[in-house]
Amino acid sequence: MTSSFESLEEAIADEHFPGVDLALRRGRHLSLDDGTAYQYLIDALDHLEPFYRRFGCELVHPSDGYFYLLPSGDRLDRRRLSTGEMLIGQTLALMYLDPAALQYAGVVERQTLLQRLQGMLGAETLVRILDPRRRKKFNERIFAEIIRNKVAEALRRLAELGFIDTLDGGRLRLRPSLMRFVEPVRGSKDCSAALERLVASGEIDLDDADLNADPGVDPSDPEAEDEAPEDEPETSA
Amino acid sequence: MSSDANRLISALVRDSVQLDLKTLDLCFLAGLYLRSKRSVDSLEEDTLIDLFEQVCEVVEPDTERPRVRATYTIQRLRDQRLLARVDGSGIIRPGDYSLTRLATSIVEFFFDDERLTRESLSLLTGTLRSHLTEILAAVKHADTEQAWQEKVAAPLQVTVGDLVGGIERRQRGLDARQEEVQREIADLLQADWFGAVDRSQALLDTTTETLRELNEVLLRDTHHLLALLQDIQSEASKADQTVPEEAAQRLIEHIDRIGAWGRERQRAWSDYYQYVHRYLRDVVRLDPDRALSQRLRDLIMNRPSPRFRLFVASTPSIRLLRPVESRVERPAVMRPRMEREVSPDLVDPDSELDIDVSVKALVEASLSEGAETLAEITERVLAELPAHKHYIAAGRVADALAGIASVRSGRERPWRAVMPDLELEDWDLSKERALGQAPRPASPRVPRPEPEPEPERAPKR
Repeated sequence: MTSSFESLEEAIADEHFPGVDLALRRGRHLSLDDGTAYQYLIDALDHLEPFYRRFGCELVHPSDGYFYLLPSGDRLDRRRLSTGEMLIGQTLALMYLDPAALQYAGVVERQTLLQRLQGMLGAETLVRILDPRRRKKFNERIFAEIIRNKVAEALRRLAELGFIDTLDGGRLRLRPSLMRFVEPVRGSKDCSAALERLVASGEIDLDDADLNADPGVDPSDPEAEDEAPEDEPETSA
Repeated sequence: MSSDANRLISALVRDSVQLDLKTLDLCFLAGLYLRSKRSVDSLEEDTLIDLFEQVCEVVEPDTERPRVRATYTIQRLRDQRLLARVDGSGIIRPGDYSLTRLATSIVEFFFDDERLTRESLSLLTGTLRSHLTEILAAVKHADTEQAWQEKVAAPLQVTVGDLVGGIERRQRGLDARQEEVQREIADLLQADWFGAVDRSQALLDTTTETLRELNEVLLRDTHHLLALLQDIQSEASKADQTVPEEAAQRLIEHIDRIGAWGRERQRAWSDYYQYVHRYLRDVVRLDPDRALSQRLRDLIMNRPSPRFRLFVASTPSIRLLRPVESRVERPAVMRPRMEREVSPDLVDPDSELDIDVSVKALVEASLSEGAETLAEITERVLAELPAHKHYIAAGRVADALAGIASVRSGRERPWRAVMPDLELEDWDLSKERALGQAPRPASPRVPRPEPEPEPERAPKR
């Protein structure tokens, strides 16, 4: 036992527990940037891991230095991130890996994110990914506005989940939990094996039905099929 | 903004102050700075031109006619108050020049030799302490106004003030150096990735060590400096010497700022250190070939590749029930029910005709009985009719009377009460009471009785 708490009762009685527990259950990723909450989790890990296992979920602590709760049973709800959230999260992870972000200790401009997205995918593809139902002709001004809105919405949700912090003046602080988006490509081998492993562990869900489809549209994605709101959380028990 | 700041900015605007320096100008100034450090003598014009030519050869070797360009450059630097002529000989002979304080500051900024180090800080704080100790000793023997001014106030304002200013200036130099280190680490990793880990780590450690040492010196010495200054201030206060007291107060605030700077930089650097350290450990060391970024970029750009989505916990907030309370019946917002469309009243047309006939008959009867005014006739007629028809009948009495008899009316017709709730403007009948058509005077105005919603004037037929 490395815990500074003698028992689960003591760990739960700590003043940090209610806030940390609620944050984890809402999908938040807690890292060093969360200060004493992260330190509490380190101290109470030995007791909290079996505690959360009884709820059918895993308290995950990767070596990158963050915690999150991963429900696998039916006792706690979970949801898949939307296509837009995934794209923005992956791009932010790419920025996190870039040494250019080091100069300002991982603080980047929102504008830099938009420039990088446009540089990699182009406005038209971006709109097809972020707003799959849109079929209208390309209009630069309208498309730019759609992209800005969708990116802002995705950033808001990623901030709620503890992947980034939003600062004043449109700046974003990148947090180590962004490394979750990198997991499938971490190994040097083909990433399909890594994907299978992650699917088996309940970390991710595959959209493999669209392999031969339009690259921008996800046929298995309910967002693309009906009139449901695009970013409606897809929860499953 | 304070009034001092406003005044300064206004003066700068009024004088249209601006600096326009190109790389060649800066290099020329740097050359002059180094030359003037070797000798205290002023710089002769020929020396300036020779030096400019040498700088030109290094910076812009293709420059044509450098001597001509030197003349213009010297003039431009003089216009910008970077170079001053110090000989005062005018056109009699070529001038002597020296760098101004502005030019010296600019060059010193680029030489960066005013960075705060443990040695420079220790030296400065040591000198400061000895000066303050001397001033404190002088305070105890100061018994005249002049002694306070010369031995206390002036050294505090000039010597001690300059030393404290020197520490602050070096702090700014260290700030710039820190920023440079941060950029350097990013550039090193960008260029050499795994090969730059050790150099980056060394840079981090050096700066961390420098900051730690500086903070130690600051923590140790600021305490002593503040104690000495407070003693001086207290003595000045007892002797009722406001100038040295205020000077000591300003220096106390200055020293406090220096201490706060040290704590703040230590904290900020600590955050940065942790971030970079984590990056080196988790990103660079685990991915020595820098393949991770490339694979992730490929994954993002190659959209048909297997796409995945992360699962996250999504438990809604705990539902808190409200305290139980009896059900409150809220009345619906509505108007009382009523029939909005009212059917028109049915009126017998003969009754209207009857009233005309009876009013005319009654008027004629009143006339025959000798009534001589409209009021008198109206009163007699209304007395014969039911109350609800009085208002209508009043107008018809006047109409019938005008048709039967000749009436007169003064410019100002008097109001006469006919009944308790009815008044009218009276007419007199002419003496002859001629029957037949007579010129119609204006209809009498009858005040509106309370219960009847009718216009002010008596209705006409």
